[in-house]
Amino acid sequence: MTLLEAILLTVITASTPLLIAAIGELVVEKSGVLNLGVEGMMIMGAACGIVAAIATGSGAAGVAAAVLAGMAMAAIFAALTLGLAANQVAAGLALTIFGLGLSGVVGASFVGAQRAGIGKIEIPLLSEIPFLGPVLFNQDPFVYASFALVAGVSWFLTRTRAGLVLRACGESAASAHALGYKVLRIRFFAILFGGACAGLAGAYLSLVLTPFWTSGMTAGRGWIALAIVVFASWLPWRAALGAYLFGGITILQLHAQGAGFRVPPQLMSALPYLITIVVLVLIMRLRRGGAAGPAGLGIPFVPDR
Amino acid sequence: MSLTRRTLMAGAGALAGAATLGRDAGAQQRLNVGVVLIGPVGDFGWSHMHDQGRRRMSELLGDRVNATTVESVAPPDFDRVVTQLVRTGHRLIFTTSFSYFAPTQRLAPQHPQVFFENATGPTTLPNMAIYNARFYEGRYIQGVIAARKSRSKTIGYVATFPVPEVIHAINTVMRGAWSVDPSMKVRVVWVNAWSNPAREADAARALIDQGCDVLCSHTDGPAPLQLANERGVFGFGQASDMTRFAPRAHLTSSVNNWGDYYAERARAVIDGSWRPTDTWGGLGSGMFRMAPWTNMTPEEVSEAERVRDAIAAGTLHPFEGPIVRQDGTQVIAQGQRLTDDQIRAMNYFYRGIDVAIPG
Repeated sequence: MTLLEAILLTVITASTPLLIAAIGELVVEKSGVLNLGVEGMMIMGAACGIVAAIATGSGAAGVAAAVLAGMAMAAIFAALTLGLAANQVAAGLALTIFGLGLSGVVGASFVGAQRAGIGKIEIPLLSEIPFLGPVLFNQDPFVYASFALVAGVSWFLTRTRAGLVLRACGESAASAHALGYKVLRIRFFAILFGGACAGLAGAYLSLVLTPFWTSGMTAGRGWIALAIVVFASWLPWRAALGAYLFGGITILQLHAQGAGFRVPPQLMSALPYLITIVVLVLIMRLRRGGAAGPAGLGIPFVPDR
Repeated sequence: MSLTRRTLMAGAGALAGAATLGRDAGAQQRLNVGVVLIGPVGDFGWSHMHDQGRRRMSELLGDRVNATTVESVAPPDFDRVVTQLVRTGHRLIFTTSFSYFAPTQRLAPQHPQVFFENATGPTTLPNMAIYNARFYEGRYIQGVIAARKSRSKTIGYVATFPVPEVIHAINTVMRGAWSVDPSMKVRVVWVNAWSNPAREADAARALIDQGCDVLCSHTDGPAPLQLANERGVFGFGQASDMTRFAPRAHLTSSVNNWGDYYAERARAVIDGSWRPTDTWGGLGSGMFRMAPWTNMTPEEVSEAERVRDAIAAGTLHPFEGPIVRQDGTQVIAQGQRLTDDQIRAMNYFYRGIDVAIPG
């Protein structure tokens, strides 16, 4: 394996949790809800994922538990913001703080326990393509899931009627409601989907990247996923680009340091943020559009009768 | 009692306050000790071992002390956490990170009735002592072992921040390695965090991909070592015995022991003999030890033990001259040794280390 292949492999693994969480949040925001609790849902996914995986001995059970944990957290958020029409920003922040604390409790007795990570699955034929094959098609299941999520969500939002309805809820909840769509129900499912994705992203951290539990292990990745959604102008493909840019530069700067480049590492550590923002903003400017978020983003909707 | 920063803050001290009230009513003379941790108790490294120290202190002193641990306190939250601890009656507070040195130095004069102890800080105040272990002694041994184990002759070092503690550790690893093989090289990646497992693992991946086959790490947890295990290279544990995280990769760990020191200091506060001391314990003092040697041949083990015993006995000193900086200027000549203050202020790499110091 060449150094370049090795770097690309690492880039993909570093970017995947960001991408999965960002795609989930993108759908939530498209439905008009701003959930700042990604970090909290993600870390609950990480905690419940590794706990369930160790308790049952099955990686699949761990993943399922992580997804359910993310959805459970999301359901709390939905109860507050949809059921009680609470302020979404405040509820989201509270969800993050709650998740960080609760995950510590859930994982407390599993500190120091460890298990083997979930292995890679080689896709026959495709993985034999020179260069691209081993990088793209000899990966763990999460990476394939992230590819599928991007393609699936992109197709869903732009090509299906249900996607159109979901976007309508995000642009003008009142209009969608007037047309007879159940805005709250649609937003509820979107929030659950976001929670499931965040939980899945968390599971990737605790089951694949560093297969053990330590509290606070998401280390701000949920926030980065949130930022990617905004700078990607709520477009799935751009979110993928943003996540890979961010992950890629994170890894490249580590390699540059190891190779002895004489650039201050503090600057290097800031580079992923800077470059991702600059590139996505430039794309936004060049394409002249897509910059505006869903018009109804963050506005609670209370259906009148 | 273990609180997270968030419960402490979110409860606005209600919880801690109530607990203290109860305590005051019950046992007036009990000493409340606070331990502020930079990472989670569950990092299984640095912070974990400070919490183990807190436990050992409670074991040794029984109901003469009441200890509160606050974990994962980021430096910006430090003032609030410490003020909260002071308000809830803690009279001895251990701030267990170099990142807390400056804030502790700033807060100590505001609370003259409280005794502060900062781990790894460089200077004292009338109510602030400092304590540390001579981890560089373990680093020297790591260097010796790494030079024996490495085929690529390149050590990978997952570093945290460019502070003297980390810089002199890298220097000492190389000094140890050069004592075996002067052609040894090092590659360094700064992750700018004490605990961020996924980034530590990414840094370790980068180092291994660049040909390093023995990893040293300065972060608080086992992630780099675990990755070394996965990728079939060697590594060292930090702070606690990390053998079980990497059965095939683990060579040895520096295992910290703060408990006896904490108990001694708490006793000093109780009987009124506390002084702002400067403690820097080495292998000989029991403040840390080298964990069981694993994945090493009997010859390698006996060499490592010989070096360890020589350091503990004081016949081998890792900071003996000549010491020459990267740029070629001599710091001390042959026959001299760096003083503790010079070691603590070290902000340069030795000649032969082809890595720039950031900043």
